[in-house]
Amino acid sequence: MTLPVFTRLTLAISAASLMLVSTMSAAEEEPQPAWAQGRSAEMAGSSLAPHATPMTTTAEENIPVDDIRLPDGFSAEIWANGMPGARMMALGDDGTLFVGTRSIGRVYAVQDNGEEREHQIIAEGLTQPNGLAFKDGSLYVAAINRILRYDDIESQVADGTISDPEELTDAFGLPDDEHHGWKFLAFGPDDRLYIPVGAPCNGCEVDEDSHATIHSFEPDGSDMQVVARGVRNSVGFDFHPETGELWFTDNNQDWLSEHGPNDELNRVSEPGAFYGFPVCHGIGIVDPDLGSEGSCDGVTMPVATMDPHSAPLGMRFYDGEMFPEEYQNAIFIARRGSWNRALSVGYDIQVAKISDDGERAGLSPFMVGLHDPHENDFSGRPVDVLQMPDGALLVADEQNGAIYRISYETPDYDAE
Amino acid sequence: MQLSQRAPSWRALLAMGAFTVLVLPFAAAADETSPAAGLPLEEQVQYCGFCHGSDGNSTQPGTPSLAGQPALAITNQLIYFRERLRQSEIMTPQARGLDDEEIQAMAAYYADQPVAEPEGERDADLAKQGQEIVTSQGCASCHSSDYSGREQMPRLAGQREDYLFAAMVAYRDRTRGGPDTTMIDIMRGISDEDIEAMAHHLAHFDD
Repeated sequence: MTLPVFTRLTLAISAASLMLVSTMSAAEEEPQPAWAQGRSAEMAGSSLAPHATPMTTTAEENIPVDDIRLPDGFSAEIWANGMPGARMMALGDDGTLFVGTRSIGRVYAVQDNGEEREHQIIAEGLTQPNGLAFKDGSLYVAAINRILRYDDIESQVADGTISDPEELTDAFGLPDDEHHGWKFLAFGPDDRLYIPVGAPCNGCEVDEDSHATIHSFEPDGSDMQVVARGVRNSVGFDFHPETGELWFTDNNQDWLSEHGPNDELNRVSEPGAFYGFPVCHGIGIVDPDLGSEGSCDGVTMPVATMDPHSAPLGMRFYDGEMFPEEYQNAIFIARRGSWNRALSVGYDIQVAKISDDGERAGLSPFMVGLHDPHENDFSGRPVDVLQMPDGALLVADEQNGAIYRISYETPDYDAE
Repeated sequence: MQLSQRAPSWRALLAMGAFTVLVLPFAAAADETSPAAGLPLEEQVQYCGFCHGSDGNSTQPGTPSLAGQPALAITNQLIYFRERLRQSEIMTPQARGLDDEEIQAMAAYYADQPVAEPEGERDADLAKQGQEIVTSQGCASCHSSDYSGREQMPRLAGQREDYLFAAMVAYRDRTRGGPDTTMIDIMRGISDEDIEAMAHHLAHFDD
C-alpha cells in the first residue's frame, strides 16, 4: 500500500508550499480588484486574470462545434446560437428553453419548431441573471440580489409579449454582494427552491448561516433552511434521480497555488453539513491563513475532486433513454475552464459515475476539444448541461453564445 | 489651487453647461433607435465625432476620447449602454438599435486612431504626485504598464483629464452604473485632490 502514503506526502508538501506563499501575501494590503484578492506579492506581476467573456454574437461559421470530441457513437451539433453570454438553462413544460447570462444582463427564451430554433430576449438590464428554474408554468430568475417570477411564461413567450415579473426579492431576502453573488437555481424533489450564496471574497471569514451556503426556500421565499455550509461558490447542483440527494459542484480558492486546491463534487447526505470553506479546501488542505491544525476535522469531504481552478459549474444527473446504460444516473458536469493557473485546464464536460454505495464518484472526460493544451488556449467554455425529453444533452457555451445538442446512435463498426 | 491656475477650470465649464449645449443635435433621438444605426461606418463615426472628436480625440469637456482605446473596451461599454446596464441619458439613445457587428466595427475603427497630444500644460509636481498614487493603486496591473489598456480595460494614457477625474469620482461615489464594479473597490476612499493628481498624471502620461 505505497500509494496512500505517497498521496499523504504529496498533500503535506503542497500544504507546506501553500503556507509559504500565503505568509508573503499577508504583508501586502494594496487595493486590488476582487478577483486579485489573495494574490501574493511575488505574483503581483502575474498576467493571470479572468478571461473576458464576449458580449457580442459569434457568427455561426465561427462556432467551434467541429472542435468537439466525444466517445464513439456520440455527436454534437449547434442547436441554438446568437445568444451572447449564454449560461444556465431551464426547460419549460411545453419545451421552451430558458437561458440566463451574467454580464450582458439578459434572459433568453428558445423555441423549437422541430426544425430550427428561434430565440427572443425576455428580460434585459438585470444584474447577472444567471440562475433559472421552472415550476408549474412559472420561470424563476435569480439576479444579484433579486428573485423574479414570470408566471405563465411559455404562453407569454409564444405571444412575444412579456409582462413584468412578480418581484420576490424581499421575500427571499438574499444578500446583495456582487462577489460570487450570481446564483444557480433548481427545484428539489421536495418542491423547494434551492439557492446558493457564494462567499463574498476569494477567501475570508463568513457568517456560516448567510454566506458560503446553499439554502432552500418555499417557492414564495418563506421557510429558509440552510442545506449546506462552508461551500465557497457553488454554481451547479442537481438531485439524484433515485435517492433525491443533493449533489453540487464547488469552486475552490484562487491564488493559493497553480496545483491546488482541487475543485469539488459534493453530496449532501446530512442537511446543514459543513464543507470546509474558509478553513479547509479540497481533500484536507488546511487554509494557510484562516485554518489551523485540525481545521479539516469533521469537514464533509468531496465525493470527487477536479483539477484546481478548472471551474466545474452546471451539472445534471442523466436518466434519459438515448445514451447507453452506463450513463444511467451518472452526472454530466460542465467545466468552464481555468484562468488562475499558467497551464490552463478544463473547458470540457466531465462525466461522474457514482460508486455502488452512492458515496463516491469517479470522473472521466466526456466532451473535449474546446481546450487546446498545446497552445494553452481555448475556443469555447461549457457552463451548463441539460437533459432533453428525448434523452439528448444540451451544452451551453458561454464564450460563443451557443447551445450544442449531443446525441447518441449505436456505432456500426462494420460499416465502411 | 494649482488646477485653476493652469487653465479655465473644466469643472467650471461643466457647471456652465457647455456639455449639454453640444449634445443638443441628438435631442430628437426619442424613438430609442440610434440615429447612427444601419448607416455606413464612415457616416456612423461622424455622429460619434460630434462629441468624441472627428478623429476620436475629444475636445469637448467631459467627453472621453475613443482614439487608441482597446476595441473590446469600446465594444463592451457600447453594449452596456445599449442594454441599459450602464445608464446614460446621452449614450443609451446613441447605442439602442446598434447591432453587435456595427459596434465591433466602430470599436475597431477607434482602436486604430492615433492618440492626440493632451490639452493643457503638464505640471511636473502634480504629475509626480499622481504617479505615486497611480503606482500604489496598482492601476497598471489591469490597464497595462504604459496605461494603453488591455482587452476590456480602457486606455488611460492620453485620455482627457476632466473625463478621467469625473469617471474616477463617479466610481468612488458609486454614481457610475454598470457591471464594472471592480473600479468601485479600487477608488474607495480616495480624495478629490488625489484623483486630480492621478488624472493629471495619466492624461499627460508619456512613455
